[in-house]
Parts: sequence; C-alpha cells; structure tokens
Amino acid sequence: MTRIKRGYIARRRRTKIRLFASSFRGAHSRLTRTITQQKIRALFSAYRDRGRQKRDFRRLWITRINAVIRGKGIYYNYNRLIHNLYKRQLLLNRKILAQIAILNRNCLYMISNEILK
Amino acid sequence: MASMTLSFCSSLAAHCRICPKQCSSPTLSFSNNTNLSFLSVSSPKLSFSSSSPTYRLLPKSSESGAAVLDSVADPPEPEAVEIVETSAEEVSKREEVFAVVMVGSRQYIVFPGRFIYTQRLKGADVNDKIILNKVLLVGTRTSTYIGKPVVTDAAVHAVVEEQGKDSKVIVFKYKKKKNYRRKIGHRQPNTRIRITGITGYQDYPAVTLDS
Repeated sequence: MTRIKRGYIARRRRTKIRLFASSFRGAHSRLTRTITQQKIRALFSAYRDRGRQKRDFRRLWITRINAVIRGKGIYYNYNRLIHNLYKRQLLLNRKILAQIAILNRNCLYMISNEILK
Repeated sequence: MASMTLSFCSSLAAHCRICPKQCSSPTLSFSNNTNLSFLSVSSPKLSFSSSSPTYRLLPKSSESGAAVLDSVADPPEPEAVEIVETSAEEVSKREEVFAVVMVGSRQYIVFPGRFIYTQRLKGADVNDKIILNKVLLVGTRTSTYIGKPVVTDAAVHAVVEEQGKDSKVIVFKYKKKKNYRRKIGHRQPNTRIRITGITGYQDYPAVTLDS
C-alpha cells in the first residue's frame, strides 16, 4: 500500500460541524469532540420537537380560547364551546379561534352567541 | 382594525404566516411577521374534490397595478392630495374585511393586500388568478358572517405570486448506542398567494354584537 498522510481531511469535516455549533454556549462551541456530540443532540432535538411543536401549539390555543370564553359567563367554558361548534357544524379550528380571540374578541363573542342559540 | 392587526403582528401565537404587502402603500407600514412556520402533517398532494380551492384562469387585470402607480407617483402638486386621499380611502375600505379560508386542509386568516404561503397548488402558474371557495368566516368592522360550515357564494380572490419551497429542515434520525443515524434534507414545496379581494358575502345573514 502507498503511504497516505491524513492531511486536512478530518479538519475539513470538523469545520463544517463546528460551523453548525458556532453559536452554542461554552465548551459546546469550542471543543471538537463535544461539538460533534452537541450537533447530534441538536439535530435530534429539532426532529423530536417538530412533532412536539404541533402538540404544544394546540395546547396553547386551547388555553387561550378557554381563558377568553370563561370570561363570558358562568357555566360557559371551552368544552361547551367546542361541543356547540360541532353541533352547529362550524369548521373553524382552534388556531383560528385563538387568533380571533386575540385580534377581534367581539368576533369570538359573536360566534359563541351564534352557536348558543 | 389597523391597531388590531398591529397587535396581531406582535403576538407570538399568531401562527399562520401572513406577511404584509411589500409594495409602497403610503398609509400602511406593518413590520414583517417572523412567525414560526406551522408544518402540516398532511401530504402535499392536492385532491381535486369539490371542497378543494377551485381556480379559473382569467386575464391578468391591471387594477391593482394602477392603484399602486397612483400612490407611488406622487408629484408635488395639488393633485397629489386627491390621489393620496383616494388611495387612502381605497386602502381603508379594503382594510375592514377579513376572511377565514381553508386551503390545502389548513385554515388561514386572510386580509386583502397581504400574502400567505400555502401548500403547493399544482397547475397554478405565476400570475394566475385564483378564487378560493371554502370561506368559513367573513368579518367586517361591525358584523361577522359565520359560515355553517361555509359562507355560501363567498369567494376570496387571489393571485399566485410564486411557486417556491420552504426553507430546508434537516430530518435527523438517531438511536443512541445502536449505531443508527440517518440524515435527510427536506424542502416542502409551497405557493405564495397574494389576496386581492373578498367578495360575495353580503347576501349571507350577518351577526352583530347586539343580537
């Protein structure tokens, strides 16, 4: 076998990884072996949390809708609103309802009055 | 309505990507919305059923172009005041309405003059006029038209601006201590649509706060 010196092959690979982790804190952006580990953890967390993101946002919307609706009156809360929504065959989803609750609260009150009737 | 839309811009939970119109409209100055993109789990394949957004190809109208030219070409003459006023009136008339429309099995709040990113609409070229039929709610300053489930005869007119792709996400699958890692890059195709107008909701029974 011919003799091969390793040269800059490993360095090139590691600079790409270092660029990815360049904004990490402390040793996680400075030490090579730690950088490779942290990059793996970061990418894997992103993958897992993209699935979580969908769940988290739905929880947030439900909480917000609940908060706004409970101000309407006693014995009126999120679950009754959703039940009435489905009974009246409205198709608005929680994301839109939460945004309407923030943007234009009167609109949400109009919707809830309409489906209560 | 302008103040409400400004507060909407600053709220973090505003989850649909509605970005303000980039053209120079002298009365509007919305900051750009940097919201998280809501990655839909549904496949990008558009099913051409009756509930999907139907679009018809119409010749490109220069009506919106003329309005922009009026506001941009602002000569220092007494005529300038009239032009600015009419464009301000048009703008304030436009700003009052919003609609909730369902495109690609996702729902968006839509304002005329703004754009939204939707799933890739197959067969729609750039500068195609599109009519979105599945309008779930139309709101004006004083009243709302709540669809059960759809506001009949309401239509949202839009123009396809660009058929591009989302920014790349790296899908990295990893199992620890088992020597398993897979790295895949993914760019979801999308379509940018600029909303030109909301029509056809006037005949529907309106709901106001007093009733």
